[in-house]
Amino acid sequence: MVKHTFRGGVHPDGHKELSREVPLREFLPAGEMVFPLSQHIGKPAKPIVKKGDAVLVGQRIAEADGYVSAHIASSCSGVVKAVEKRLTLTGAMADCIVVENDGQFTCAEGFGEREEQASLSNDEILRRIQDAGVVGLGGAGFPTHVKLKPKDPAAIRYVIANGAECEPYLTCNDQLMRVKANEIVEGLELVLQLFPNAEGVIGIEDNKPVAIAAMKQAAHGKPRLRVMELQTKYPQGGERSLIQVIAGVDFPISMLPADVGCIVDNVGTLYAIQRAVLYREPLFSQCFTLTGEAAKNPGNFIVRDGTSFAELLEFAGGLKDGIALKKALVGGPMMGIALGSLDVPIQKQNNGLTLMIEDPVELAEAQMTACLRCGRCAKVCPVGLLPEPMADAAINKDYERYEKKLYGLECIQCGSCTYNCPAKRPLMQIFKEAKSEIQARKRAEAGGTK
Amino acid sequence: MNNALNISSSPHVRDKRTTAYMMRVVLLALMPATVVGVCNYGLHALLVVLVSVAAAVLSEFAFDKLCHKPDTWKDGSAAVTGLLLALCLSPRVPLTMPLLGSMFAILIAKCCFGGLGKNFINPALAGRCFLLISFGNMMSSYRVVDGVTAATPVADLLVGNPVNVTRMFLGTTSGVIGSSALALLAGGLALWALQIIHGEICFSVLGTFILTIGLFGGQGFDPRFILAHISGGGVLMAAFFMATDYVTSPATPLGQLVYGLLIGSLGGIFRLFSGTADSFSYCVITGNLFVPLIDTYIVSKPYAYRKVSLLKQLRASGEPWYKRVPRPVIVLTAIAAIAGLALSGVYFMTKDTIDNQKRAAQAASYKAVCPLADHFEANETIDKAVADLNGAVYGTDFGRAHINEGFAALDEGGNNVGYALSVTSADGFDGNVTLAVGVDNEGAVTGISFTELNETPGMGMRVDEAEFKDQFVGKAVSKFTLNKAGGSTADDEIDSVSGASTTSGAVVNAVNAALDFYNNTVKGGA
Repeated sequence: MVKHTFRGGVHPDGHKELSREVPLREFLPAGEMVFPLSQHIGKPAKPIVKKGDAVLVGQRIAEADGYVSAHIASSCSGVVKAVEKRLTLTGAMADCIVVENDGQFTCAEGFGEREEQASLSNDEILRRIQDAGVVGLGGAGFPTHVKLKPKDPAAIRYVIANGAECEPYLTCNDQLMRVKANEIVEGLELVLQLFPNAEGVIGIEDNKPVAIAAMKQAAHGKPRLRVMELQTKYPQGGERSLIQVIAGVDFPISMLPADVGCIVDNVGTLYAIQRAVLYREPLFSQCFTLTGEAAKNPGNFIVRDGTSFAELLEFAGGLKDGIALKKALVGGPMMGIALGSLDVPIQKQNNGLTLMIEDPVELAEAQMTACLRCGRCAKVCPVGLLPEPMADAAINKDYERYEKKLYGLECIQCGSCTYNCPAKRPLMQIFKEAKSEIQARKRAEAGGTK
Repeated sequence: MNNALNISSSPHVRDKRTTAYMMRVVLLALMPATVVGVCNYGLHALLVVLVSVAAAVLSEFAFDKLCHKPDTWKDGSAAVTGLLLALCLSPRVPLTMPLLGSMFAILIAKCCFGGLGKNFINPALAGRCFLLISFGNMMSSYRVVDGVTAATPVADLLVGNPVNVTRMFLGTTSGVIGSSALALLAGGLALWALQIIHGEICFSVLGTFILTIGLFGGQGFDPRFILAHISGGGVLMAAFFMATDYVTSPATPLGQLVYGLLIGSLGGIFRLFSGTADSFSYCVITGNLFVPLIDTYIVSKPYAYRKVSLLKQLRASGEPWYKRVPRPVIVLTAIAAIAGLALSGVYFMTKDTIDNQKRAAQAASYKAVCPLADHFEANETIDKAVADLNGAVYGTDFGRAHINEGFAALDEGGNNVGYALSVTSADGFDGNVTLAVGVDNEGAVTGISFTELNETPGMGMRVDEAEFKDQFVGKAVSKFTLNKAGGSTADDEIDSVSGASTTSGAVVNAVNAALDFYNNTVKGGA
């Protein structure tokens, strides 16, 4: 059988065997919990509690501020200790609500009881998703209720459940699909209810046979659903790669998936939607992989937002004996963010912590040579860009050519070019800098004309 | 613990393949050709390879040190350049050739333009062309394995001689060290299969070359003829290892196709009309020079902006097709066509002039070798005999001698005073030696004069001095013998020019062939 896949892409070592077979365990943290107000794309939420207030599990502590924003719920019961700036995973200080956890995990009222889907209108489904503060759990954290409200719901042809999990090391979606297949399918059906003309496609990379079998069984007999096995290749789980494979469409970065008739939701998000709609449960926990060569017991966990990475690591058994941690990544090694300190809170959209004993970037810097113009970057670009001339233009500050001639802003920052570069050039970093420079210039121009 | 965490921009993993890895693979792919070359041509070939590689690496090392640059010699690219250059050299060249060539390639063509990734022409080819231009004689002397000097197969092919394709495949003909077509093909295809080189380049070069040779070679698409052309003259080397050099080839697949088309068609035209076997290097360099232009104009769009394939665009109705072909394609095709036409135009315009000059020189040399002659007349017997020979080697005792033409020499009164013959020996140190031989009616040599002589200055070239030439004059013998020791007294002995017995021998053979032809055909038939 020909495996479905997109053009380009790379095959980094998966390392998924470290944690693949470890079942999900729930971790209940103790002590201080920190809730950053910005855990999603869009405007940060507004706090609605103040110092000294008592809060319960699932109680809303911050409210969406504007259309593209999301509510935040507490994941523990206790007393608000402060609303102040704390260090977050980006390495910057950001506004956070700090709750002193009483360790009781007393739940707020109004959620936990299953309600039936048949009685729900589309508006009610969207309202419940919004109330629960669901954001995209694939990593970006885009508010889900916004995504599910395209201009023309009838034009949506595909609702894609993203179970590709192409990022090396991460296995929590694999585990989630194994044990919560029916719940994910229910979540997908709720979304499908919003889009009468859409087909539900569950895309999973073929390195997860157990999850594929589970999802196939859960989707069995449902006429609007099908499971699609995808080739194991990074970035198969990228929104645009999935749409390319399933809908056969490439589209510019200025367009949204909904503009080409697609809605893509991570399987974790679909599970959260199911909880939010049928149980009215706010999003305060998600599945999470703690892995890497430095971790003593790599595994998959259900973690509560606001827990510190360091505390989770301690619960999981800490580092291997006698090993120095070189690098800690939120997420996997391809798109993850390198942490300066483990003592920062886990956010809604985080799905993994990869602990590395070696830093391949350090090695790459030592091996860096001039560009050979070998074209291996262009060969793997899933967008069809030419990274080599792009880097040239960016370094020469020829942003006109970078943007207009080379379509540099179409870059989805997947890092495939950088991974594949034999000269070990930091292409992604160059492109990120070029993008922010171009955006800064545009802002300055817009400001100047006023 | 937390203080020691590394921070960097994603991605945080890298593929194992490094620049050094890529270079190692290319070196490995060149190994079959190198090993076959050394086995065929012996120890000196190995020395040429070693000197070339060592000179290239040391040059880069020295440049890095002198200019306080990072150590780039370690990445293996200099070694690749050195090996490529060595494989393009004759196994007979003095060791100063690979030394100078590699130094020029690395120091001038590569480092002076910014080093790896910045050079605008292929360094190895730059080194080779530098040597070709500066030391033409030494560079174009080849020797086959059994020790006999010979023209390269392509040179034979160009003058219409039969060639042995099997030997060209094995590399046992005369030629450069890396002349085994089979070994080059194996290495090249392996590189392509490993996705180290772009198929767009190597196959478009070969395809266009075959097309040009087939269309304009005069023998159609005869497989043996095509195969012989592909197997020689560095075509495979250029297609798989030179044109595909990353730095000096275009970045996009379409650009690579245009570039391959340019090199392949130029290669075919140069091969057929330039008259030299070494022209492919110049074609690749010409292609290199077009790369910045190609890369400026041919930029591929992201998938989302590519509406339909070019083929579909051409088929779609509406605008005429030529308006939908990207302008750069038209511009580049036009440039290539104009360049090609100009080249062939110059060739055809100058062809007659060159021929006339050759004829005038020929006539002058006939006069020189027949002092009594006033004018010359065609002779039926001679013309018929020459036609019967049909370009084949004359006789069995004269090496590879050819009788070209002959005329009867007449004095002012129209009386026959002898004959003038033009003879070529293919056994010169550097290819052909052609001379006019005058014979009087008694069978005595009246003089010899060279019309084609490309021997080593100060050595083989000294056969053109009177001291050597005058030894033949006035002697009526059936056959001369070469006396390598010198101090000859007998009429039929000729003193060799010291240190140039090969050239001297070729001349003696040529004169003997002329005498034999005179005695058996002209005199016998007259």
